[in-house]
Amino acid sequence: MTLRARERWLRWGSLVAVAFVFAGLYVRVLTAPSPGGFVAAQAAARSASPAEPRYRAQLLPNSTAASVHSATAAEIAGGRLRAFWYGGSREGAPDVAIYTSIYSLPQKDWSTERVVITREVAQRHLQRYVRKLGNPVVGRDHGGRLCLYFVSVSVGGWAGSAVNQMVSEDEGETWSPPRRLIASPFFNISTLVKGAPFQFSDGTIALPVYHELLGKFGELLRLDAEGHAIGKTRLSWGQSSLQPVIVPRSDKEAVGLMRYSGDRPNRILIVRTEDGGVHWSPPVKTALPNPNAAIGSVLLADGPLLLVFNDAEENREDLSLALSKDFGNTWRVVHRFEGDSRSTQAPVTEYSYPWIIQDRAGDVHVLYTWGRSRIKHVRFNRAWLESRR
Amino acid sequence: MPASAIFGLLGCGLLSFTAVATLIRLRRLPVRARYAVMLAAALAVFVPIGDLSVAAYVRGVTGDLSMATLVLAGAACFTQVTGRGLIMHRDKRALCWFLALAAAFLYPFALGWTRFDPYALGFGSVEFVTALLLMTLAASWARRNLIVLVVVVAALAFLGGVYESRNLWDYLIDPLASFYALAWLIVRRKPLNELSCPTASV
Repeated sequence: MTLRARERWLRWGSLVAVAFVFAGLYVRVLTAPSPGGFVAAQAAARSASPAEPRYRAQLLPNSTAASVHSATAAEIAGGRLRAFWYGGSREGAPDVAIYTSIYSLPQKDWSTERVVITREVAQRHLQRYVRKLGNPVVGRDHGGRLCLYFVSVSVGGWAGSAVNQMVSEDEGETWSPPRRLIASPFFNISTLVKGAPFQFSDGTIALPVYHELLGKFGELLRLDAEGHAIGKTRLSWGQSSLQPVIVPRSDKEAVGLMRYSGDRPNRILIVRTEDGGVHWSPPVKTALPNPNAAIGSVLLADGPLLLVFNDAEENREDLSLALSKDFGNTWRVVHRFEGDSRSTQAPVTEYSYPWIIQDRAGDVHVLYTWGRSRIKHVRFNRAWLESRR
Repeated sequence: MPASAIFGLLGCGLLSFTAVATLIRLRRLPVRARYAVMLAAALAVFVPIGDLSVAAYVRGVTGDLSMATLVLAGAACFTQVTGRGLIMHRDKRALCWFLALAAAFLYPFALGWTRFDPYALGFGSVEFVTALLLMTLAASWARRNLIVLVVVVAALAFLGGVYESRNLWDYLIDPLASFYALAWLIVRRKPLNELSCPTASV
């Protein structure tokens, strides 16, 4: 074959290859299902809790870790809650592991904590070096499986984070090996979680994430059933918004609340969507202060939006509950969990990283870091909340 | 071990081996010594030390490598082992421009500069695929076949779900390829021996 003939074959061969792969790309893109809106919390699944006001606070067990942080929880079968948090000798230490404990709603007590995953086990399954573990968040997928997402870092500080997913089909007794979510083009670093995952109506999972490398901004990841990131939408941009908490009210409408790390005045940020998360309004400051700290929010079955936050601009020595009857437009502080001079002081006066959920019986559960040494659980019912209004 | 981890580790292993071979200038050694070094390096890179292999440590830092990085690393590795170049200078220059421009478009915005996020396009956008098709056809028309090769291999890997990523960008480009392309364009804008040796530079 002459050189010219070879070149001709090469040229036509490459064009055939281009046609083949781009046909595949177009088929992939054009046949991809759309998320189809949010799955909002089901009011019908929840019944009213007793009329007697009820409020109870207790510390979760911690027999091993000197430092604990970032609690998350989900209701599981049998009228129980399963909580997760990370703990170790200090934040960012190599011995930090993800812990879990179960709360029996009737017995009102937590089981002894146990380890879900360590750094060593994570890196063995991920087949990557892992230096430390961080924030976990838990939710459920379309099939009802518990999905645990947790942060890990291979290089550097928290700005070098990536997110991993584990799945449990037995309410958290056993877990699949962790899988890495790929959510950033820059060495896949700087993706973290704090807000609760929820579902899109096509069965995919919506996971609020944020980035901390160079910029600080929030995004909403869309995950398929296998834990692959298959889409994302930016909630904010720039260098001052992080840790989004998204609360859907209907298939189209949701509100997002974010921690603020910019210039004064230090306020919680809010974003909204009215088209199922396709577009989000630019972040604006609410009237509520924020000392560059995480927040938690939940929409109760009969409408009010609850927010747990540090009611201060400079420190985390207070933790309060605010209520909004107009889906985040106006707020009223109804209770102070911590920061009251009569309450027991934590060894370190920091009350942070709240997580709030409502169980099927209608009771509300708040978990938060209590002085970095324990996780605290507060449970109250609607009657107690009514008494605070 | 999942297939995506195997592919990821193989890529990182290739990069590690290429880096070592280039640093020690493997092609200057006798042929038998090259093969001995290759074998030793393969063992050193892929055999676990404790829980992890060297490739897994590299993967922890770099993540899974794009096809651009693997094609460039593979060509450099081939050159070190055989002493023969694979990539023509003009092809490499075109690929480096392609990568540098793609990186300039992708990274600043993906890192939160504005609301626009080009990385999201890689999950499935007709506009993105069409733009890539036009660039690939232009490269083919201009006989810059290295770009065509990288795009075709990246698209095949993406369609096959070779890595954990479901984003086409991750198969096309990564920061290593971007930094390399930028550095190459700055340092070697003109080939030292373009007239005397027009066939290959890597």
